[in-house]
Amino acid sequence: MQVEVSRRRFLQGSVAMSIVGGASVGVTNLLAGHTEEKGELSITTKTGTGKATEVATLCEMCVNKCAALARVEDGVVTKLNPNPLFPKSKNMLCPRGNAGIQALYDPDRLKSPMIRVGEKGEGKFKKATWAEAYDAILNGTDKFTGMAKILEEEKDNRSAFLFCAGEGMAEHTFKTFYSAFGSSNWLNHASLCLQTVVSGYGVTLGGYPESDLENAEYIIMAGANRAEAIVTPDTMDIFKRTKGRGAKLICIDPRFTNTAAKADKWLAINPGTDLAFVLALTFVVIQEELYNKEYVANHVNGFDKYKVNILDNKYTPEWAEKITGIKAKDIYQIARDFMAHAPKAIYYPGRRSTFANNDFQLRRAMAIFQGLSGGIDTKGGLVFGKKLKLDSHEGLEPIYDRAKARAVNKVERTKGQVGYSDCAVVSGGGSWVGWRNRYLENKMPYNVRGMFIYKHNPMMNMPNIAKTAEMFKKMELVVAIDTMPSDSVMYADVVLPECHYLERTDPVKTFGGSQPSIAQRNKVLEPMFDTKPVIEIMGGLTQKISRPLFHISKKYDADIRDELANLNGKTAKEREAEVYEEFNLHKPFEHSQEYINQQMVQDIYGKEAVKSLRDNGVFYPNMDKYFKKLSENEHQYYPEKHKSYTVNGGRAKTNTNKVECYLPNLAKKGVDPMPKWHEQYLFTVPDGKFRLLTGRHAQFTQSGTANNIVLRDLMNENYIWINRRVAKKRNIEFGDMIEVSSKVGKTTLRAYPTEKIGPNTVFFVHGFGEESEELTWAYKNGGNDNAVIEDIIEPVYGASSMHETNVEIRKV
Amino acid sequence: MSRYGMALDYKNCINCKACEVACKEENGVLLGADKHRIWVGANDVDGEWPLLDIVSATFMPSQCQQCEDAPCQSVCPTNATYYDENDVVRVDPDKCILCSYCMNACPYDARYVDDRTMTVDKCNFCSDTRLSRGDTTTACQNTCPTKVRTFGDLDDPESEISELLRTREHFSLKAHLGTKPKLYYLT
Amino acid sequence: MSETTKTAEAVQEQSFIAKAKEFVFTIPVNKVSIKDLRDFEKTPRNNFIAVLTLAFIAMFVVGVAIYLSQGHHAYNVTREHPWGLLIAVYIFFVVSSTGLCIVGSLGDVFGFKDYELIAKRAIFGSIVTILAGFAVIAFEIGHPVTMLIYNVLSPGLTSAIWWMGTLYGIYLTFMIIEFVFLLKNDMKMAKIFGLSGLLVGLAAHSNLGSVFGFLNARPISNGVFYPTYFILTAFITGIFIAFIIMGIRYKNVFPEAVKTMLTGLAKIQALLLSILIFFVTWKMLTDIYGGMPNRADVALHILGSWTFWAEVILAMLIPLIVILKDYGKSHVLLVWVSLAGMVGIFFMRYNLVHDTQLKPLQMMKIREYQLVPEWIHYFPSATEIMISLGGVGLCIAMYYVGSKVFNLDADH
Repeated sequence: MQVEVSRRRFLQGSVAMSIVGGASVGVTNLLAGHTEEKGELSITTKTGTGKATEVATLCEMCVNKCAALARVEDGVVTKLNPNPLFPKSKNMLCPRGNAGIQALYDPDRLKSPMIRVGEKGEGKFKKATWAEAYDAILNGTDKFTGMAKILEEEKDNRSAFLFCAGEGMAEHTFKTFYSAFGSSNWLNHASLCLQTVVSGYGVTLGGYPESDLENAEYIIMAGANRAEAIVTPDTMDIFKRTKGRGAKLICIDPRFTNTAAKADKWLAINPGTDLAFVLALTFVVIQEELYNKEYVANHVNGFDKYKVNILDNKYTPEWAEKITGIKAKDIYQIARDFMAHAPKAIYYPGRRSTFANNDFQLRRAMAIFQGLSGGIDTKGGLVFGKKLKLDSHEGLEPIYDRAKARAVNKVERTKGQVGYSDCAVVSGGGSWVGWRNRYLENKMPYNVRGMFIYKHNPMMNMPNIAKTAEMFKKMELVVAIDTMPSDSVMYADVVLPECHYLERTDPVKTFGGSQPSIAQRNKVLEPMFDTKPVIEIMGGLTQKISRPLFHISKKYDADIRDELANLNGKTAKEREAEVYEEFNLHKPFEHSQEYINQQMVQDIYGKEAVKSLRDNGVFYPNMDKYFKKLSENEHQYYPEKHKSYTVNGGRAKTNTNKVECYLPNLAKKGVDPMPKWHEQYLFTVPDGKFRLLTGRHAQFTQSGTANNIVLRDLMNENYIWINRRVAKKRNIEFGDMIEVSSKVGKTTLRAYPTEKIGPNTVFFVHGFGEESEELTWAYKNGGNDNAVIEDIIEPVYGASSMHETNVEIRKV
Repeated sequence: MSRYGMALDYKNCINCKACEVACKEENGVLLGADKHRIWVGANDVDGEWPLLDIVSATFMPSQCQQCEDAPCQSVCPTNATYYDENDVVRVDPDKCILCSYCMNACPYDARYVDDRTMTVDKCNFCSDTRLSRGDTTTACQNTCPTKVRTFGDLDDPESEISELLRTREHFSLKAHLGTKPKLYYLT
Repeated sequence: MSETTKTAEAVQEQSFIAKAKEFVFTIPVNKVSIKDLRDFEKTPRNNFIAVLTLAFIAMFVVGVAIYLSQGHHAYNVTREHPWGLLIAVYIFFVVSSTGLCIVGSLGDVFGFKDYELIAKRAIFGSIVTILAGFAVIAFEIGHPVTMLIYNVLSPGLTSAIWWMGTLYGIYLTFMIIEFVFLLKNDMKMAKIFGLSGLLVGLAAHSNLGSVFGFLNARPISNGVFYPTYFILTAFITGIFIAFIIMGIRYKNVFPEAVKTMLTGLAKIQALLLSILIFFVTWKMLTDIYGGMPNRADVALHILGSWTFWAEVILAMLIPLIVILKDYGKSHVLLVWVSLAGMVGIFFMRYNLVHDTQLKPLQMMKIREYQLVPEWIHYFPSATEIMISLGGVGLCIAMYYVGSKVFNLDADH
């Protein structure tokens, strides 16, 4: 086992950071179950006709960040309305967006800092002041070890702390702390989420593109469910045009989803076999020479190799029919229709979790198929769009000599080529499950003893929760920053309560696309209870820990001692103050978010932009001229000629500006350089078992919304979909309690016999079945998929493969 | 004085239920699955997997149909249900005696009991909330992701809804009952 | 001049008041004390009825208390099934009242001499039953006081409920006046008010039928059937109750005159039951084979419910067979059959209310995890049952007190 040690190379202690916007990430894990309701709550407020103010803000009920206008009457948010000005969300708020009020006024919210007094995971805390909480983090209590002691014992190896975060606008602020702190262990939702799709498209097309669903005429939506997993503006754009109204939508899914219901054609596919379907489409297109020959000749790299691969392997529709269950004649038809409509045809990239182990190759195959049509960087196809620039602001990345690199293990993957034990490539977000499992198996190159979690719920979001619980118990110091007492918060040693998204201004963000804009979440209300925005939490914490940690570094870091020794004509005290500035963790948090946002916008776009972001929540150049209300239901954001459909001459954005069919670098890492089918990808389920599928629902965003009382009105718990005929044979009726079990655990939830799913698969919505007793409505409400899903990781990026688990079901 | 109606491009509906939540939040409708002024109905899809009948899986957004000849109004013993100046069918909670006759008489299941006032409540096109403060549309219309609804004055030939009804074929729910709904489903 | 007029008016007024006072004070009543009320023949059966009645009244008090604290939450009524047991029980009582009114009218309005001897009892019974009905409905209507106010201030003239309620109010007044004249043995005035009461009662009662008949949302109920059927079944109910009260009055040992009357009533009952069976048969046949959507399926569903057969067997078939067996001469048996018949009549009312609401008005799923709406289920809550039994208790108690206070037997 070898340890990779590479210091981050920065000449200065501080580094310019800008916020990256655009395609953000959707999380995939969450669900809730049923409990007896504790009392009756009637917390909807009727809007009044008297005095009210409206504050432009951005929603954070999911990842989309739709623009909202919060109506405030007498200091109470009475309604969240859509903000028509934002091109991304186009004057809409989904059910969750509307239910943001219930999240704000959720009686279960974390209301003050807390310090653990019970056993780990028991959920027993004492209320604390912020100062006490910060002190507990630094110095520990009789129940847990403090940060100072850990760093002291680990000789200032900053990587002894793990940092993990869920997606959110303030994730950036938390990451600023992580960078300043100097750890190399960063894990986020990516490997539980869209890691493989973003990477697959990234290496093939040079970026993860948007889909111009407003203009596409033919869309294949496979394994994406835009009617239920809402993504703006895709969801709004597509469903107004299906059913013979301008766009033909082909839905490929093992389940009959709401998207299937709105599609023109739905084809049930065997789980995990989409790759065979795409390869067969490609076969038809190549064999019948339907592809865009000119485009392929000029803008596609390695086509000849790929052609040979496809034809020689005989990826025919007849071959694919046996694997996918989709009839060969349908595959021929779809391939021909797609190319007939190209370039206004889209094989929709989607942005879900990794379902099957072949997902990365599937994404590559999809991207290449799109490339063959020429529908790239063009109206009606996949578009990269434009992104409006934002100024950077000061962050801090000190160099800690003792900080070790990310805790990964190198192994020889192909002859002479070094890779990693978890997977072929380690991305910025890391492989969560890979990391966790190695940590539990004591295969870490050094001790990791503490962790910070921000807006992240590993207990709910990652397969095999038994192991996650074990990981938490093993961590000596767990600091959780959250708004709700989630299952993960229950395992914390110190809980720092973040305020709700309506109670804070978050970093201004740029949203790319064919109609780019900048948007800002503005504070609607002062934080309730003893809660704070992350920027203030980090500010307070760094004020407390910065200097004590510096003294530890001084002790163990020879570089710092050298620097201090080199007085440059100053007194030792002056010199220490100067050097400390490089390590002053508090520095990035000195200014208010409002001030930082102004700095990021004002110089480029002027004061008007700052004002517009504050008053309207949205800004883009010429907004006043371009934005028009066309009707109650339609708005113009940019005139047609100013929309950024084509920004790279219709080419991919890879280094070569070509679609990459063949990637020799992958071969070096032991990964197929071109998408290929392997026998182990076949979908098989042993007799009597079922393949477990999971997914989203329009009324819930993973576990984050599981305790939302108004959303529970819409779906009180999750049910397991079982094929109606299979259920009948097993004497299972609607509402029966079913125990679902796999190698790693079990969960119990109600049965929903339906024809919308095939005989050897079962499905339930993610995000239910929380175990935190502090969640009145989510506690033990429904079943938790991650109690059952096995921790299988995909080989290329180490993402969790969510649909590779077979389960047994039993009526209880 | 308008004559308000609503056109529903119901094929746009993806059953996300944003309208239901927006309605509850705007109008302070009590929580509880059977306390709703508006809703989206779905059929169970016909057929056997994988040969399912896509067209049977329609989503129908629905609510009070704002009948011109409303059965709920004519059966009300105290005229608590009335047509307001904009022809909107509304309930005066002061006059309602909760005999529940209207709940039985409404062919659309559009009425329910508000547990606070213990009177019958129903969709009123946001008349006492949005419209009364000058907004031009309802909460459900405004929030809808796929823009199913168009709300407006049927008496104004220039209104968007009038234009839609002139140019798009449409139907009403349970039209054979002669209730003359002012909700129009566009085909 | 004006002084004189005023004085004259005052005198007139005074004399009117005096007359009214005199009229009221001359109503023949027996002085009864609590002790008298406790004074009844202590047979096991009587004791049982007494305990039961008190228990029912206690239930009424408890039920009302629960209702007052919890409102309609105490009932199992829902958005889909807004009318529950209390509506059925209300109908049960007012149908009984109308029926007794018809029976009572046979003698004093229509001049069938044989039936005069039940007139007072029947009219008193009609007052008692409608009061019990009102007592029950007062706790079903959410706002009875608002009803009294806006029924007058803002009458809904197109509403069958408005007409039904208003007419029943007038009817009750007429019945009380008629009863007073009967007590005073003023048969002429009794006849006038009896006829008026009967007509208003029939109007009220058929309006109650039309409450269902006007529902265009409910094809199973819509149409002329219920308004006419209500009058028919009221008469039948009246005769059942007549048997019961005569059975109680004479402890099943009937004098000849009563026997004659009961045999006559039984023969009328047989005729009415035959007509009813004919009606119901054709209602079912047209419902099922008429093929109207939302009617045929509902009718078939009704055919499959045990409550429907309870109604048919107890209220129709058994009484008819027993009467036809010997032309209504088994009086004692008929008293028992009538008691069972009233159980059947209760189911008749319950079915009417429930069956109207059987078919959901909204047949789509409004939540992902629900079954497609099929039939609306309803079973009364404990509170509803308590208040309903309480109505029966009140009815028995009022009748008992009345039988002590007033001379309900025909004067000879």
